Amino acid sequence: MVLAITLSELSRVLVLGVINGAIYSLIAIGLVLVYKASGVFNFAQGEFGTIAIYGSYISITTFNLPYGVALVVGLLAALSMGLLTERLVIRPLFDAPRVTLLVATAGVALLAIGVEFWRTANDPLKFFSSIVNSPSSLDRVSPFGVAVSDQRLITLGVLIVAAVLLFLFFRSPLGLAVLAASQEPVASELVGVSVRRISTITWGLAALLGGAAGLLYAGGSQFSPGLITAAVLIPGFTAAIVGGITSLPGAAAGGILVGVLQALGSLSTFDSIKGASFVSVFIVLLAVLLIRPQGLFASRS
Amino acid sequence: MAVDDKELTPRDTEAFTPTTAGRVGRAGAAALIAWLVLCYPTNILSPFTVGGVEANAASEAIIFAVIGLSLNVLIGYVGTISLGHQAFVGIGAFTSAYVVTEMRQEFFIAALIAALVGAAQAALLGAVSLRVTGLYFGLITLSYGIMTQESIFQIESLTGGTAGQPAPRPIGFESDFRYYYLCLIVLALVVFLDWRLIASKGGRALLALRENPRVAATWGINVKAYTVLGFAISGLFAGLGGALLAHRDTNVVANPFGLNLALVFILMTVIGGLRNRAGVVVGAAFFALLRNGELLEILHVDSLFARDPINLTAEVMPLVLGPILLLLTITLFPGGFGQLTNAVGRWLRGGRFRFVKADKEVQITDVRA
Repeated sequence: MVLAITLSELSRVLVLGVINGAIYSLIAIGLVLVYKASGVFNFAQGEFGTIAIYGSYISITTFNLPYGVALVVGLLAALSMGLLTERLVIRPLFDAPRVTLLVATAGVALLAIGVEFWRTANDPLKFFSSIVNSPSSLDRVSPFGVAVSDQRLITLGVLIVAAVLLFLFFRSPLGLAVLAASQEPVASELVGVSVRRISTITWGLAALLGGAAGLLYAGGSQFSPGLITAAVLIPGFTAAIVGGITSLPGAAAGGILVGVLQALGSLSTFDSIKGASFVSVFIVLLAVLLIRPQGLFASRS
Repeated sequence: MAVDDKELTPRDTEAFTPTTAGRVGRAGAAALIAWLVLCYPTNILSPFTVGGVEANAASEAIIFAVIGLSLNVLIGYVGTISLGHQAFVGIGAFTSAYVVTEMRQEFFIAALIAALVGAAQAALLGAVSLRVTGLYFGLITLSYGIMTQESIFQIESLTGGTAGQPAPRPIGFESDFRYYYLCLIVLALVVFLDWRLIASKGGRALLALRENPRVAATWGINVKAYTVLGFAISGLFAGLGGALLAHRDTNVVANPFGLNLALVFILMTVIGGLRNRAGVVVGAAFFALLRNGELLEILHVDSLFARDPINLTAEVMPLVLGPILLLLTITLFPGGFGQLTNAVGRWLRGGRFRFVKADKEVQITDVRA
């Protein structure tokens, strides 16, 4: 293995890593929200995204809705899946051990993947068009000489907007109630916060974030059943862990970091290692959990 | 089928002797089960004729039972979760194929090496599980499984790349019917080992440390050693299962060893009923036959589901049906299929036929988190 990395390749990898990382951040923020509210690793988070893609895709191809409306339909599909999961799976198991909940959310993800496979059995590979469709939309902007499509720019923009909105949300009375309920459920009940309502709101938010991540990720490319679970869920979890699992800014930063590290694994230098980007994610996850389980950005306490 | 959820009443525990008719019925039922397992898949003493495809499907059911018992050791005994069990099995499959094809060794040596390699990699993960527990360890196994499929199983010199690694069947077991018996023998061996493990000091130590590692430690149980031992045994079984799977297909490719397979393994073990050998075997066989479509074919309902508005194919069936059964198992029937096999077993041994609500012992809910 020769460590010969050209500057142009490095900048390409870094830029694409940051942009992929934005998707991981969106998923990771959803995972952190759910973890704070229900104390569970939500394995269905990726499927919120895939369901949103299918919702939008069906609205476009079957009902001929305009693209913007279809995106809203997709987000609504994700939202309803999130709320249904919370109501039918999480709430009945409210007092169950966390591992039971983990297995249950994995069951929800598997059910969604199963239904997607079932309904698209004849032709599982579909194409989802991007938000801006013009020849110039592919390389209008090129930082460091790397062509970035409008779709990817919008992805980055959505992450920033989502981060700002969440920042403001957690300063609002409702957001403070969410924080309180996640830290002290019993005490929050005593001061009049409905922990159940908070749980619903949190799952709804997480599902919307997952849906947005899915729609942005799939835009302009092919998709198949279980896409977001297969492609984004593990980097998303790794991002949440890197950020210390309870920190929203940590999850956002962790997503970018994991995106860049994974992209570094795809450098041509590592071509001799098969699936190097998967290995790099595994090593990051293992290393953080073994050496610094509180996350990279937490101050030692 | 009405499931009676009552606790054991005095009527159930009092001495009960079946009548002569009852004895005949029980003997008949036992003979039927034995026939179904031993004779039906291989056309011995059978009015039906099944082909090699059916025999292979039956072999898969037996192999899945071995894998289910392997996962049961981890979830049921050690009390940890493995979302990467397809990697354990795949490593066994590729090791065995490699040893037979590239190193020109006998199948039995290859299967032994596959079992040992499976045990070694599982022991390594076991060492990690000492530091990282519960949900976090679940994530590590998940990532490990995907990484193994995408990276290790793609190394061409070891796995033959996309073409796969040939894995010829052992001499004397080339036919699909004979191979079925080989699978049965291995399952019997694994069931025996599992039984002896739980009946020994090591097994009791494992059960104690699952309940509460700190209490177990104060009783002088070496928590670290036994946790790693539990992982190694699980890896051993999984490696054997993988070797059987490889030589059943006579060629191993990386593609099937994905996340879906890992989740099916979890489903079949949990729905089978943790810490219930018979339940896990039945659950695993059920999911294997559901997956390869054989179950629906035997029941003559395959055309019903394949017809137009439903279009539910066999490969998708466990993904749709499994999670529903899983949620039912978690919320209503924590004993899974084990609840059913317990009742049948008690009846066959000359007791009353009663469903008994699974005691606290048999639940998914006590995996350490």
